[in-house]
Amino acid sequence: MREQVVCKTTDLKPGDMKSSYFGKQNVLICRTLDGEFYAFLNQCTHQGAPLDKGMICGATTHTSTPGDYHYCRKGEIIRCPWHGREFDIKDDGRMLANPTKKLPSFKVRTEHDDVIIYK
Amino acid sequence: MSNSKIPLVDTDIHERVQYQEILEYLDEPFKHYIQNCHWMQEKHMPYTQPSVAGVDRADAVVPDGSPAGSDLAFMQEQLLDDIGHEFGILTSALDPSPSSMHGWHEMATALATAYNDWQIENWLEKDERLYGSVHIAAQDRDGAIKEIERVGSHPKMVQILLPIDDIMWGDPYYHPIFEAAEKHHLMIGMHHNEPPVYYGKWPRYFIEWHTLISTAHMKQVTNLIFNGVFDKFPNLGLMMIEGGYTWIPHLMWKMDQQYRDLRHEVPWLKRKPSDIFKNQIRVTTQPAEELTKKEFMSLIDQMGTDEILCFSTDYPHWDYDSPTRALPNLDPELKNKIYSENAKAFYPKLPNE
Ligand code: FES
Repeated sequence: MREQVVCKTTDLKPGDMKSSYFGKQNVLICRTLDGEFYAFLNQCTHQGAPLDKGMICGATTHTSTPGDYHYCRKGEIIRCPWHGREFDIKDDGRMLANPTKKLPSFKVRTEHDDVIIYK
Repeated sequence: MSNSKIPLVDTDIHERVQYQEILEYLDEPFKHYIQNCHWMQEKHMPYTQPSVAGVDRADAVVPDGSPAGSDLAFMQEQLLDDIGHEFGILTSALDPSPSSMHGWHEMATALATAYNDWQIENWLEKDERLYGSVHIAAQDRDGAIKEIERVGSHPKMVQILLPIDDIMWGDPYYHPIFEAAEKHHLMIGMHHNEPPVYYGKWPRYFIEWHTLISTAHMKQVTNLIFNGVFDKFPNLGLMMIEGGYTWIPHLMWKMDQQYRDLRHEVPWLKRKPSDIFKNQIRVTTQPAEELTKKEFMSLIDQMGTDEILCFSTDYPHWDYDSPTRALPNLDPELKNKIYSENAKAFYPKLPNE
């Protein structure tokens, strides 16, 4: 499979995500607040939870200091529905607590109102 | 997950009651206090569980919006059928948790009775894979024994549940409860509720509390062993539920070394603490520390037996362990023991052909 329409641009509001299929692979399509689309394998690298059942949210960042929370990156972080691991949508799906681990990702482009995953 | 071939005995599944469901099993005036006065059991934790959906897996909320764990049909679909459970042991959501109440023991005792009846009727008698835990209000010791006498002989009740909070259950005052357990071939299952792990208080962050839950488990094991419970009740077994498992060798070594020096104080102990542990204490795996196979095998070696660990999922909670992903890939014989045989050998009332 070289490419496939996985959903319509109107299926996802900024800050939302949904599952779809790219061939037989269950994929997660995410839309960040700036309107961009991203796609990852819809399976957590930890114990395999379905990521579309988690949430897109922001993160308390590493610029926080003890006793002082900094929360930003709204709409750019996927949190797993089970153990809560956080994956950075705009940083190739890297895990916040361990950036050497990342979600397998797919190339995405939009054409008219189609969201397309391609190789 | 659905192609898993493990004949799983899951030693920790949390069914959840909603207060309105328990009313029909409750006598007056207790029913009135819940129905009209909106009583709920006190909770103490100052934080939320900072995961996606609080204490639950975000995907375990029942499709009609009811809380995770409250619907048998959805539990069957998402857990029992999908994984292919052979047996599952229900341990409740500890809300209510009668033995955790700090007063009003009459209410606690009434709740335990109502909960047991609700559990039997709605879960144990509706799915043959599910086995249950007898709830008691242990502070009212004599009331607790009456409740054990009332439901303890139910064929699907396999253990008595005691919460890990701020009472040390090895105290001789509670020994008649263990005597009643032994009489009915029930084991003791201990699961933490809200143990104050920081010198009787709460740490600043949930992550600190959650890291140290195993210390609360270690306290209970130490307490029951040195108070002589296992020598006094040789057929009694204790299942320590949801504290992980890497603490086991540490505590065995520590207790054995202390026993060699200080046996004088606890002359009723007839065996080395580690031998008592190996014979009468079992530990559920979840939340599984992530070990490589080499690390895991070394830990088993340090325990001196591969018969202590029993797999548990903790469904439907956020720190659920997947039977196919949580532990390293083990050799078939050991896998069979941890996922099935150890629990079957432990619970006398669990079928074991
Ligand atoms: S399965 Fe995703 S964090 Fe564990």
